[in-house]
Amino acid sequence: MLDPTVLIFLTSGLFLGWSLGANDAANVFGTAVGSRMVRFTTAALICGVFVVLGAFFSGTGAALTLGKLGSVNALGGSFMAALAAGLTVLWMTKLGLPVSTSQAIIGSIIGWNLFSDSYTDISSLLKILSTWIICPLLSAVIAALLFTLAKIFVRKIGVGLIRMDGYTRLALILAGAFGAYSLGANNIANVMGVFVPVAPFPDLQFGQDFSVSSAQQLFLVGGLAIAVGVFTYSKRVMMTVGSELMTLTPLAAWVAVMSHSIVLFLFASERLEQLLANMSLPTIPLVPVSSSQAVVGAVIGIGMLQGGREIQWPRIYGIVRGWAITPMISCLLCFIGLYFLQNVFQQEVQRESHYLLSTRVLEKFQKEGIETTGLNQLSDSTFSSSAELVSAVSSIVPLSSQQGLKVVEFSLQNSLLITQEKIASMDKKGLSSIQLDALNQLQGQTFNFPWQLGDSLAEISSEWEVRGGGVKNKLHDRKIKQKLAYLYRNF
Amino acid sequence: MNPLSLFFKKQYAVEDKIQRLLRYLEDMGQLYRGAYEAYLDGNYDDFAQLNEDLNKIEKEMDDLGLQIQMTLMRESLMPDSRDDLLWFLTKLDKVPSSFKHSLGAIAIEKPKIPQGFQDPLKKMLAHTHDAVKALAHATDSLFTDLRAVRQHVEEVGRQESEVDKVEYKLLRTVFENETFELARQYQLKGILKQLGAVTNLAEDVADAVLILATKHSA
Repeated sequence: MLDPTVLIFLTSGLFLGWSLGANDAANVFGTAVGSRMVRFTTAALICGVFVVLGAFFSGTGAALTLGKLGSVNALGGSFMAALAAGLTVLWMTKLGLPVSTSQAIIGSIIGWNLFSDSYTDISSLLKILSTWIICPLLSAVIAALLFTLAKIFVRKIGVGLIRMDGYTRLALILAGAFGAYSLGANNIANVMGVFVPVAPFPDLQFGQDFSVSSAQQLFLVGGLAIAVGVFTYSKRVMMTVGSELMTLTPLAAWVAVMSHSIVLFLFASERLEQLLANMSLPTIPLVPVSSSQAVVGAVIGIGMLQGGREIQWPRIYGIVRGWAITPMISCLLCFIGLYFLQNVFQQEVQRESHYLLSTRVLEKFQKEGIETTGLNQLSDSTFSSSAELVSAVSSIVPLSSQQGLKVVEFSLQNSLLITQEKIASMDKKGLSSIQLDALNQLQGQTFNFPWQLGDSLAEISSEWEVRGGGVKNKLHDRKIKQKLAYLYRNF
Repeated sequence: MNPLSLFFKKQYAVEDKIQRLLRYLEDMGQLYRGAYEAYLDGNYDDFAQLNEDLNKIEKEMDDLGLQIQMTLMRESLMPDSRDDLLWFLTKLDKVPSSFKHSLGAIAIEKPKIPQGFQDPLKKMLAHTHDAVKALAHATDSLFTDLRAVRQHVEEVGRQESEVDKVEYKLLRTVFENETFELARQYQLKGILKQLGAVTNLAEDVADAVLILATKHSA
């Protein structure tokens, strides 16, 4: 039976999901519904169903990047992060600034990091921030290309006006369904990503072949919240977006929705990443991107293709200002909210963590390529926050952002005891028999640092090995890390 | 059965109605020419019968046009296409009215056609008929193949200019002929202008077709 406080804390995620459904769904179906090309009930039904499907089946990838940026490790913290983001989105929407949950949740996580004195992985932050520029640019390029091709295609097939109308309507519905799926897959990380490290649901096993992980259950609930947002509140926003974009022809509207959906999909699809990696091509970071940015980028792309005269630049500047202000407000709201939640409502907003620079940890640093000269003076020092730890280490040896993350990971004390009971009760679906054998061999052992379990498993079997280096190993390594993270949580 | 018809039932239904409308338009063009020629040949009974037939078709076409407009207002089609089509149908509706008014004027006024006017008038009628046929094809292309619209619209333009040439010649003849009384001159001018107005209208509607085709093919 779930603790009722857990459910109360989850409500903020549901609120954020609702606001995402109410606002961002307009980016998917706004043009079609606002200009009455598609009926609202049809759009809401399709959007709701596909958002849930996208969140459930493809939501994991982008959520991992958010987890890297900052692992909010207590339910109270996750509650406030989601609440601050949701309130910011609602506030900005009331001010008439089209913002996205992506910007708001990033601000919230930084707010939590600042409050809990946790280390912020600058490289992950930069990766996310860079997508805020890449996403609209990419969307603009895709839209311009797609619009050119679509125009050539339409001229070539030369169907009549009424059929073209019907085909465009069908294409808009299909693009909307794809957009809703991509929105669910990419943006569910914004809604439920902060709850993943503290996911309160046990994994569910249905028969031998089908299991639903804790994160997937979270994503399903979040997806449903988005769907409720679409049904209850998105009509008004869709009508506004639709009438604002009335200068777009139906074909251009389809191109805008399609480009937005493609961009969201590119930044959410693990399968595409795998395909690119297999072809030794650079992969696209799996990051939650803003659907508003994608749509605005697409419209600019189409506008530029037609000479750029019809683009309302002052409106664009206003939108960009909103994108910059949102994370700042969300960060501030989250910080203040956490203070009240912890000190007035006496709720746990961060779990106590201890970081120890033991000799073994320093050896691990060296093995992982982190300079340790001079770090002996910190030997056996303990730290109560990751930011404090990284600051102490980097005052002696220079650390890259990635190395800072490793220092935090390897120094975190978390005692793990491998028992027969826990192995029996865990979800073994993702583990091969060799991996399971290796785990069984470690029965009865205790590890003071989680990475020690990983290293011990890798020593027993190469199937637990994190290979490192190269794009091809990236996916393999990520899978191993996901499995190890599951083991760390389970034991 | 075309599997797409399941998805686009409403669109196909509107298309069918528009096709019927165009067949009526072509029939009217034929009847107009037949009735006018019958009058020129002095077959007044045939003229009366064909004029009556034309009025019947005009009424049916009117009803059908209204049905299409109601369908467009109630359902199917995106607002942009719907507004364009309503605008176009209102324009197209003026062509059958021009047939009716032209024949109506002859039926009431019963003008005496001067010697030597029969052949040029028949030539004008043939060009008018061809212009209406080309207009029907242009409109049909608007709903079947946008790429073919331009060539039919150009054909309407060519026929209109032929009609203009004959009309101008006949008007000069009318006003240069000193044996005609002024009243008769103005009566003949009215008749010629009404005949010429049919192709002018056809050209106007054809231009509208071209505008729509250009707009919806980009």
